[in-house]
Amino acid sequence: MSSARDSILNAVRARTPAPGVHGDIGKAAAALIATPSRYQPQFDQQGNLERFIAKATSERVTASIGRVATVEAVPAEVARYLKDCRLAPSLALQPREELTGLNWTGLETHPGIAADEPAALTIADLAIAETGSVVLRSGPDAPVLMNFLPLHHIVVLHEELIHRHLEDVFGLLGDGPAEQPRNLCIVTGTSGTADIEAVNVRGAHGPRFMHVVIVDKP
Amino acid sequence: MKQSPHLFKENAKRALSDPTLKTALRRTTGLLRRRRAQVIADYPEYAAAREAAEKIKDHTLENLAHYLEMFEANALGSGAQVHWAATPDQATDIVVDICKAEGARTATRVKSMLGEEIGLPEALARAGVKRIETDLAEHIIQLADDPPSHIVMPAMHKTHEQVAELFRAKHADPAATDHIAALVESARRELRQKFLDADIGISGANFLIADTGSVVAITNEGDAELTTTPPKTHIVTVGIEKIVPSMAHATVFLRLLARAAIGAEITQYTTFFNGPKRQGDADGPENMHIVLVDNHRTEMLGGFLQPMLRCIRCGACMNHCPVYSAVGGHAYGAVYPGPMGSVLTPVMSSLQEAGDLPNACTLNGRCQEVCPVNIPLPDMLRSLRVRQFDRKLTPGMARIALKLWGWLAARPRLYRLGAGAGVLALRLWARGRGRIRRVPHAAGWTRHRDLPAPEKGTFMQQYARKKRR
Repeated sequence: MSSARDSILNAVRARTPAPGVHGDIGKAAAALIATPSRYQPQFDQQGNLERFIAKATSERVTASIGRVATVEAVPAEVARYLKDCRLAPSLALQPREELTGLNWTGLETHPGIAADEPAALTIADLAIAETGSVVLRSGPDAPVLMNFLPLHHIVVLHEELIHRHLEDVFGLLGDGPAEQPRNLCIVTGTSGTADIEAVNVRGAHGPRFMHVVIVDKP
Repeated sequence: MKQSPHLFKENAKRALSDPTLKTALRRTTGLLRRRRAQVIADYPEYAAAREAAEKIKDHTLENLAHYLEMFEANALGSGAQVHWAATPDQATDIVVDICKAEGARTATRVKSMLGEEIGLPEALARAGVKRIETDLAEHIIQLADDPPSHIVMPAMHKTHEQVAELFRAKHADPAATDHIAALVESARRELRQKFLDADIGISGANFLIADTGSVVAITNEGDAELTTTPPKTHIVTVGIEKIVPSMAHATVFLRLLARAAIGAEITQYTTFFNGPKRQGDADGPENMHIVLVDNHRTEMLGGFLQPMLRCIRCGACMNHCPVYSAVGGHAYGAVYPGPMGSVLTPVMSSLQEAGDLPNACTLNGRCQEVCPVNIPLPDMLRSLRVRQFDRKLTPGMARIALKLWGWLAARPRLYRLGAGAGVLALRLWARGRGRIRRVPHAAGWTRHRDLPAPEKGTFMQQYARKKRR
């Protein structure tokens, strides 16, 4: 409806001060966020890994952490986790070569995801120390539903991908539309709700449990 | 939803004599206030963040046409289709036309107050599209056929006992106990397959990113992604004021929004949607439509209400409002309740239609104090009152009382004499007790609460005493 478009934009122009030159608007916008350290939560005493673990395992975020020295050790850690949770040795596996190429002997793995999938394993593209969040991008080898349908979401995270603040992650993702994945999701722990009497409960629609397997820096 | 802001007095009276509502409001608002206070105390940079947020919103509003065009170009570039709607009817027509073109029978929906504002649930019902609310609170009120009573927690008026009863009556496989965790599990079972079978997924947006064309939706439940990924089409309805220049600007608000709304540092899920499914993508919708809605927002630009367009819909103002905490959201009879609603409702309906809403405020200032973008809500409500008075919308008795007070206030000697006599009379009436249960001709005040007995002497008398010392 182009007439609505024109009427809205004309009404906006009539009521806002004379617009600046585009470049000036951009400069003014950049100046507003020129010193993010003023409003970013500071945690000088903690390194990125330490902060990430502290936040991810906090009462509010409720993830658990596993540590492995190399990516080859991931299947054993996943098997241990499933056993500790009394789950069957079966796993939906994100179709990425880094995961499918590992030795999964003893565990049944499958590429699809069922509506009531007990557990799925995916790779984190980035992570944020500030909040204990992992960043997951969609793509041919990264179905979005794999992060939301399972009851247990297990995530492999390479330690060197943990960045300090939210802004650092966005900086890496670029600011042009072409560089964005279709779906970019910052996941901070498990699905929760406080919709009944403001009481926090886990496992609303998405995963009730999150286990982050951190692979040490090479 | 059916609007009845002009019935505020009757609605408030009913709400005040509802003991279950009182329990529900006490359980929730208290908890939310404590959680927010804690998470703000743990964020020493809060004041600087709040200032930055206010400035970013002001900058964006001052250059709104520039940013809207930038957003449109980038969203189109990502493959999304962009629609514009000046009125609620235009917006719902666009959504309904898309549903019809696709032959859609069911639509899952993520909670969006803009959707309520434009009457989307009713429009979908008229078009014969079965609407499935997926946010837990929206699911509860859909089953109960209630309007929302809070912008972040629409089922705030329900106790868990009431929810348990509702689910037992309506769920295919209800929980065996009334425990809140069991109720959440019951809703999960009920909705799981419906997510996967829906024809259309409808969401709102918390932010629009101008320089990427992204739509940002945040949830704690993960229902936004489950709603928008499986269906063939994703429709976004969003107000034009939700725009920010870039992702780095949005970050400032992500930190503030969750803290102010629910007392968390960030919500569990923050998702940036960039157009429809791409070639080779494992999943996602084939079509993405973004409907940009005005509905009186442009009228607020350039006037005394412009700061209201900074609002990020956190709900902190209502959680901290003594009036909201006593009467709940339904009494306001409008989509947006509480202080921010009392400012928005007169704009979206009319000053006359909004009736007593600008007066449903004690001017204690807490709403502005806790507002993460520093909206001067009390000043705006006062300005709306002045406009009501000037346009003779204020009722006769109130006008006479205000005029009398104005006359008295301009005569300080007489005013002090009168105030002194009033204090003395109330102290005598209280007979040494701290609280007064009943005052002749003031039942409106004392019916639902006690009046505190005044201190010894008026402010001016005490001031004079202290000065002499």
